Amino acid sequence: MEQKLTLFELNERVKDTLNEAFPVSVWVVAEISELKENRNGHCYLELVEKRGEEIVARARATIWSYTYRIIKSYFESTTRQRLSCDIKVLVKALVEFHPLYGFSLNIKDIDPAYTLGDMLIYRREIIERLKSEGVFEMNKELALPTVPQNIAIISSKTAAGYQDFINQLEMNQRGFKFYPVLFEAYMQGSTAAPSMISALEKIFNCSDFFDAVAIIRGGGATADLSSFDNYSLAYHVAQFPLPVITGIGHEKDDTIIDMVAHTRLKTPTAVAAFFIDGAERFYDTLLTHQETLIRSCGEILGEKKLQLEKNTDNLQRRVKDFVSVKNNQLLKTGNLLQQRVNRYAFQKKYELNNIGYNLHSKLSVWNMRQVSLLNKYNEVMTITVKEKMAGKEIKIGQLRERLKGNFARVLKKEQERINGFENTIRLLDPVNVLKRGYTLTLKEGKIIKSVSQVEKEEIIETHFSDGKVKSRIINK
Amino acid sequence: MSLKKITYNEAIAEIEEVLEKIENEELDVDELAEKVKRVSILLKICKDKLFSTNEQVEQILKEMEE
Repeated sequence: MEQKLTLFELNERVKDTLNEAFPVSVWVVAEISELKENRNGHCYLELVEKRGEEIVARARATIWSYTYRIIKSYFESTTRQRLSCDIKVLVKALVEFHPLYGFSLNIKDIDPAYTLGDMLIYRREIIERLKSEGVFEMNKELALPTVPQNIAIISSKTAAGYQDFINQLEMNQRGFKFYPVLFEAYMQGSTAAPSMISALEKIFNCSDFFDAVAIIRGGGATADLSSFDNYSLAYHVAQFPLPVITGIGHEKDDTIIDMVAHTRLKTPTAVAAFFIDGAERFYDTLLTHQETLIRSCGEILGEKKLQLEKNTDNLQRRVKDFVSVKNNQLLKTGNLLQQRVNRYAFQKKYELNNIGYNLHSKLSVWNMRQVSLLNKYNEVMTITVKEKMAGKEIKIGQLRERLKGNFARVLKKEQERINGFENTIRLLDPVNVLKRGYTLTLKEGKIIKSVSQVEKEEIIETHFSDGKVKSRIINK
Repeated sequence: MSLKKITYNEAIAEIEEVLEKIENEELDVDELAEKVKRVSILLKICKDKLFSTNEQVEQILKEMEE
């Protein structure tokens, strides 16, 4: 029969054997698959080793609170990463076997350099992957708008940097207007990467509106940057259609996000300054152009003005000369004309005089001739007239005599006629008629010539040569 | 002639083009007046965009928050 042991005894033997085998602590490489912090400050972990996806080894581990405090801060300050699951670590551990609790490792120390190295490898792998997929440079190749004003911000409202960032943009000295819109996300911890991706997707839905994306986060002692090495997040950022500017507040090496982003800055303040600066530079360009414009125009106008003045002077001068020349010409011609006219007038006067004399002498001659002719005629005429007159005188005498005779005869005839008329008149004179026994009968002052003009009993007047009587008609 | 929707780049490009023309003395005095006016307008649009509140943008932002 083999020796019988109690369980306790067995475990004790195992414990001793282990203690012998591992008298001092050993450095172990493992991956943290679970990590819990106790109320007392102790840390309980599960360590594993994976080959591919397969777990090939597993062990429990503890870090007592005193040690944990030290290890934790040391680790995090060196690696800029929290002690958390899914990271590989190099730890110094004491192998322990407790009869009751079994095998466990008591971690005494940690070498963050290993994790760093591992992280580096991990990161390098991600970078290679992104490069091979052709997306690594994509965001950097985007053109940043001249003055980004509409900015999508991925940050946390309570994050240290966010409020300052907003204030900086709003209170900028020049008064540039910016339109920041917050898309909230967790900026650390295991949920950071997925929440940032979700924020990016929201932004994508209104990417037309924005000019750029800013991922900002205040720096701090616990700067857990592991989320910013996340492959999926990096992939989204690299491919994002808007330029991404990062300012996640750390001094050390770039995270992968920093590498794929369009522009990497250190802090949210720097990001704000970046945008303001962009606007500032553009504004300066505007002002410069404005000045250039004013200056150039001023010059050109000045030039043109000078030209105009020169031309005006030229014109004035030339016109003056021209007028003066023409004036002289005119004077000269005037004088010439005057001379010629004078000469001409003189000439003609002289000719006229000559003609005058000629005419005068010729006229005199003609005159004399005419006078003598006239005298001759005169004589002839006088003689002829005298003869004619004598003849006529005799005739007149004769006529006078005839006239006298006729006149006496006519006179006598007329005298006899008149006498005749006198007789007639004497006979016809109503007084003489009345004397011969005729009477004039009147009715009411009017002479009546007919019986019919009177009626019986009417009064009539009868005029005699020596008076008148009134009668009444007795009978007709 | 001038659209409100012009971008900074387009505006600057146009301004620089005009300035170049002026410096090369390619413009006569009448064209000059016209171009200067245009550039002034562009400068103003850019300045407004930089400094004044853009109502349209504010409106969109408001809608986004809903």
